Amino acid sequence: MKDRLAAAVKKSRADYTEVRVERTWSSAVAFRGRRLETATVSEDQGGFVRVLNQGFGWGIASFTSLDALPAMVTRANELSRAVRLEEPIRLAETAPQTADAVLELDGDVRGVALGDKKKLLDRYNTAMLAVADLIVDTQASYRDEVSEVWYVNSEGTSLYQLRPEVVVSGTAIGRRNGTIEKGLESIGLRKGWNSVQGFEPQFRVVAQRAVDLLAAPRVRGGAYPVILDNELAGVFIHEAFGHLSEADFVYENPQAREMMTLGRRFGKPVLNVGDNGAERGLRGTLPYDDEGTPTQDTPLIREGILVGRLHSRETAAKLGERPTGNARAISFRHPPIVRMTNTYIAPGKNGVGFKDLIGDIKLGVYACGAFGGQTMLENFSFTAGWGYMIRDGQVAELVKDVVLAGNLFQTLDRIDHIAGDFTWNQMGGGCGKGGQFPLPVTEGAPHVRIEEALIGGDV
Amino acid sequence: MIDRLLERARGTVDNADALWRREEQTTVAFESGRLKAAGISEEAGLNLRVLANGRMGVAGTTAAEPDPDALLARARASAELGEMVELAFPTPNSQLLPPIPTYFEHTANASLDDLIRMGRLLVERLARPDCQINVAVEREVADTAVGNTAGARGEYRATGIAVIADVTRIAGDDVLMVYDQYVGADLPSDADLETLVRSVETRLTAALRVVTPPEGALPVVFTPAGLAAVVLPLEQALSGKTVLQGSSPLAGKVGETLFDERLSIIDDPLTPGRPLSRPVDDECVPSRCTGLVEHGKVGRFVYDLETAARAKTQSTGNGRRGVFGKPHIGYTNILFRGANGSAERDHTLGGGLLGDLDDGLIVDDLIGVGQGNVISGAFSHPVGLAYRVQRGEITGRVKDAAVAGNAYDLLKRIGGFGSDGRWLGARWSPSLLLEGVSIARR
Repeated sequence: MKDRLAAAVKKSRADYTEVRVERTWSSAVAFRGRRLETATVSEDQGGFVRVLNQGFGWGIASFTSLDALPAMVTRANELSRAVRLEEPIRLAETAPQTADAVLELDGDVRGVALGDKKKLLDRYNTAMLAVADLIVDTQASYRDEVSEVWYVNSEGTSLYQLRPEVVVSGTAIGRRNGTIEKGLESIGLRKGWNSVQGFEPQFRVVAQRAVDLLAAPRVRGGAYPVILDNELAGVFIHEAFGHLSEADFVYENPQAREMMTLGRRFGKPVLNVGDNGAERGLRGTLPYDDEGTPTQDTPLIREGILVGRLHSRETAAKLGERPTGNARAISFRHPPIVRMTNTYIAPGKNGVGFKDLIGDIKLGVYACGAFGGQTMLENFSFTAGWGYMIRDGQVAELVKDVVLAGNLFQTLDRIDHIAGDFTWNQMGGGCGKGGQFPLPVTEGAPHVRIEEALIGGDV
Repeated sequence: MIDRLLERARGTVDNADALWRREEQTTVAFESGRLKAAGISEEAGLNLRVLANGRMGVAGTTAAEPDPDALLARARASAELGEMVELAFPTPNSQLLPPIPTYFEHTANASLDDLIRMGRLLVERLARPDCQINVAVEREVADTAVGNTAGARGEYRATGIAVIADVTRIAGDDVLMVYDQYVGADLPSDADLETLVRSVETRLTAALRVVTPPEGALPVVFTPAGLAAVVLPLEQALSGKTVLQGSSPLAGKVGETLFDERLSIIDDPLTPGRPLSRPVDDECVPSRCTGLVEHGKVGRFVYDLETAARAKTQSTGNGRRGVFGKPHIGYTNILFRGANGSAERDHTLGGGLLGDLDDGLIVDDLIGVGQGNVISGAFSHPVGLAYRVQRGEITGRVKDAAVAGNAYDLLKRIGGFGSDGRWLGARWSPSLLLEGVSIARR
């Protein structure tokens, strides 16, 4: 396959040409309530061509018919030449890479019978349904894939990557008369069959939570001291800061560049943030990004100060910085854009625990789990799965509909304590940007305290 | 392609249906006011569903020349694990397809230069010294063929075009983002593009001044864009699937008046000029209009073939399917019908509903819509783009505020329907004035 790509690239008349071909084998099982929805095996395949000419813009073609590859290279070249540019697009230098990078499969999902996958999911689904009669509905899904990606560009890079992925998730829906609540569990790994066994207790817990939330009051709106659990703190840093550190937001925008000047203080010295695509075994992990750049650990905030950002080759060249291996595409259907991989808040001092965070809070909220988050850069939301009131330094009653309203400049700076209990969140789902969803990413964080954050609700 | 596959399926399985779709997309992208990229995308896929020994199975492929036997074998393997279901596939007799234009020749034939010109015009019209403007123009031509072993067939060619304008203004640490789009089956007219420009400018200009948000339970005007958080719970609750699962708060309430009596909502695949309009759904069921909410009463739920069979009712023609996976329920065009049909069109921000507002908000964009416990009707979101209204006038943009409420409570009594009805993606609605929305601020 590499030879086929290399031949197409060689024939290209453009100044720069890259070709990516993907073949993805996947299987999926889904239950809704007690009923099986589907159990399927699929194969998806296609290619992507991107070319650049001096003085012209990007020409892009994606296609499912691989026989069309040579024609698509020609087509992309025509498209590039239709885009005249006064200021040329430059790509930062990277050393050409040649490698076969095969991630650990940890139980090759292609060798497991579909019926066994159904049985596994049935157990998790049944675990949720068995918790109480009040669980009226569930959604349980199992999805795995093994994706083969070939990448060749005209600068001598030639890569083959094998990327496995497996995601198991479940939503339990509890209902009492007109009140409906849900609990959500999701496990996503860049691994295989062996890594998704034995999660029955976790699925029971979320179903029980859906039941408990039926009797819980809505949180009252207002500004509170807030402690985020590891999972929500991870989503928080992804939304609050991760997206701002993607250089495609600043590289063409002088005002944005000023706002995000390296060296600017964003938080207290306790805050350290980074993005690490090279960490082993996580969903956002990749040896190389979709421009063939090796991934790395990129510090973004060090002791409260902005020290780095995430780059593609184009954004790095424009800002005179180095590519970081963050150009990613969700599939051959899309061009690579600047994305996060595994984004984290580094742990605080060893030994700092939850007790140290909660002790002096008279009235606050302990926000746990994550239904999601979204950013409009300065302002962002992060939605907890559930929460507890904090009263006189103690975790008190369960509350629901806990949605935090964040502000980049205020919320980050109000992080005053970070615990030492760091974990990576092995969640499914993914990140959405520029019409590309869901991109596998991971977030990691310890417990984090925000001195004051706004929570929506009745006031 | 479909005929060959179904022919092969006949005799091998009880019944089968299939969908083949080929899409060609052309995109031009302007970044920070400059044309940066042009792209095409070509994709074809085939989806097969079988009933074998009463059990349902599915398989899909994007292979250029799919092997019917291999696809059939995969669908049968899927059916071995599948559930029993008695699907009533549409027959040729039931197939009087409504005439609906889906294909617009000059949209399909618009050249790359035509699309670039359209984008450039927008960039020039929207240019402001302190703003970054991103514009994308996306044109799609799709061929769809759907059929089943009962002999029913449907085929159509469709065009679609989206013109998306994104304006970002950063002043110091203040980030303002205003977004709007034209979406249609046919090319936008000059007037359509002018409307898009005016819509962005109106919202941008009113946002330049930042004011303190109010606090408490107050009246809020939700613009057609801002309404998403209020509409989403209804869309979920009116799906035959959630009703069947027992998780819809509207289950068993058909005919009950749960909403303001002036409110009617329909799902209409026959609206001319919309990209989601089509003569037949993805399961070969002829398209028709469905009354979801009728004068405040819960109307009909939407179904695909499978959920209809399980609920012992008829499909409403809302079957949708991709290349992979089985068909599922999908809305087409959702239209709000309310009072005010005769009033003058009013495209000012707030749709003419601000007059009676002593203190409140206009909400145009909320952050994180769809991420809470949506089905319950409860929502709580930080504002993405919202304005304060005092004594009937917009006084400026508010930041760092969160609005919360319950869609079912708020829609019981609607304070007013705006005169600014418009399309936003697949939804047509005016602004709605809703009373007693909780606003929290720092």
